[in-house]
Amino acid sequence: MVSTGSGNAVSTAHDGERYVEGARVIEHMPASLNAVPPSRYYLWLMAPALIVLAAISIYPFFWLIWMSLQNVGAGPEVEFVGLKNFIKLWSDDKFWMGWILLFKYSFFCMFFEITIGVFLAVVLNGHRFENILITIFLMPMMMAPAIAGLVWYYLFNSTFGWYHWLFQSLGILGETSIIGSTETAMAGIVMVDIWQWTPLITLITLAGMKRVPRDQLEANMVDGASAIRNFIAITLPNIYPFLLIAIMLRFMDNFRFIDVIMRLTGGGPAEVTKVLPVYLFDVSFVYFKLGRGSAIALTLLIVTIIFGKLLVKVFESPASKRIDQGN
Amino acid sequence: MASRDVVAYKTPLSRIWNIFTVVFIAFYLLWTLLPLMIMFFSSFKDLLAAFQLPPVGAFSKIGLFFDFTPTTKHYYNLFVNLGFSTYFANSIISAGGSAIISVVLGSMCAYALSRYEFRGKPDLFFWIISTRMAPVVAVLVPLYAIFRGADLIGTKAGLILAFTTFNLPFAIWILKGFFDNVPYAIEEASMVDGSTRFQAFRAILPLVAPGIGAFVILCILFAWNDFLFSSIIGSGGAKTLPPATVQLVQPQNIQWGSIMAAGVVTTLPMMFLGLLIRRYLVTGLTMGAVRE
Repeated sequence: MVSTGSGNAVSTAHDGERYVEGARVIEHMPASLNAVPPSRYYLWLMAPALIVLAAISIYPFFWLIWMSLQNVGAGPEVEFVGLKNFIKLWSDDKFWMGWILLFKYSFFCMFFEITIGVFLAVVLNGHRFENILITIFLMPMMMAPAIAGLVWYYLFNSTFGWYHWLFQSLGILGETSIIGSTETAMAGIVMVDIWQWTPLITLITLAGMKRVPRDQLEANMVDGASAIRNFIAITLPNIYPFLLIAIMLRFMDNFRFIDVIMRLTGGGPAEVTKVLPVYLFDVSFVYFKLGRGSAIALTLLIVTIIFGKLLVKVFESPASKRIDQGN
Repeated sequence: MASRDVVAYKTPLSRIWNIFTVVFIAFYLLWTLLPLMIMFFSSFKDLLAAFQLPPVGAFSKIGLFFDFTPTTKHYYNLFVNLGFSTYFANSIISAGGSAIISVVLGSMCAYALSRYEFRGKPDLFFWIISTRMAPVVAVLVPLYAIFRGADLIGTKAGLILAFTTFNLPFAIWILKGFFDNVPYAIEEASMVDGSTRFQAFRAILPLVAPGIGAFVILCILFAWNDFLFSSIIGSGGAKTLPPATVQLVQPQNIQWGSIMAAGVVTTLPMMFLGLLIRRYLVTGLTMGAVRE
């Protein structure tokens, strides 16, 4: 690994001792430098983390596969059923509905968060109070999603919630709370996600906008381009890789966390917000059908891993290499 | 925009735009702060005052919101009757423990990954990050069964281990990026001066120390805000603040005052920590993909 500039006349007997034309050279460097072969040294550094990771991820993964082939009830009895759990999933409407709702939920969240978030970034970029404003806007992100869910549950309450009062006063809603009606419940949970995570999109977009070559913008301006034209022609292509990363991260988080939905609707009313992870939670921890739960978990994991593979590709694509440059 | 000072003259259009931005920012500020403000004020309100609303449509009576005598009884109730000091301690120990373990093991592993080339490295790397991306519920099912077998349910050790499932891969992934930015020449120079490989590793640690510190805090934040792991794995002996707060929601009697107080207690420290590492927040929350 460490080249000490050995010439032709130098032969290395083994690490630490060198002979030049037959005579042993007393190295200035101590022998300990190369006493441990680098590969073994690096393996030792990696080992603890990899062992812990293996114990908490590979082992559970195989356990999940094995468990998905069993029928597990509330008792200790376990029965091997082969692929039955998966075959049952095929005809399970709630399973497919869960996927549809998960994508619907993610799509609505993404659409509003990107629109509002990018617009906010445009407005904030170079603003006099940019720093203090963005710091305030970040605050919801620091809140535990479960707590955010509770606070919004309180705001949406149909008898004492201030937001419900506001919706009612504006004539948007009637007596029923936004999360109590099958028509609006999805809007309710999307709203909380927008409240909490739009600032992340803004933050990422702002980071991207700081990299937009200023001379290009100015040259374009001198050529008579409007601000809107400038944004479309120069800013947008430059922040595109940033937006892609933002979208994928948020998408995966929508798969990962269900805290807000659990607090607000628990999947109801009439299961219009029962996205797949919520359904999985119910099957596993409410009905304790761990075999069936494992089968659902596996499908969710596989889709996430495919998404992850795509995300890593985006991370390493030439387009996002620009992100690392500058500053 | 960046080019604002180049074109300095004012057109009617730009004036409209300026007014529009002010209105938009004001509206967004309100949208962000209102829920936090209502949580904060409600935690100091008597239950009767907290439930008071103006009649529908009576916007002029909105001042009713500030019409209350502040009381700290919810906070008193929280810490004296509901045992929140224990939950607070549980939160600190389990979040802090998992953050420290993750960053110590993670920085060793990240350093090796950054310096050492070997076959299958991208695959190993992807495996590491995929454990972080896995949906929490999907991981929870096998982890629950395994932890039950190992008698780890309801213990702080179990909870620390559970939090490590998402903190360790995060730490490895993000710290590798940090070590990649440190030139190998520094270690070389240090080794030429007679230090061992491990001493050379220690020599570059000060260079990445600010980043490492920030990601300890970020790991604490992720663990602190977790709900699913702590409610299932920690149920019983190692409940942390979020599940303890959620438990105050009972079918018959929802203790809203205490819930809001617990929300403030849970959220304030994290907001403070978030401010502290503001510079690293984008990097951390985008898993290192975006640097500010």
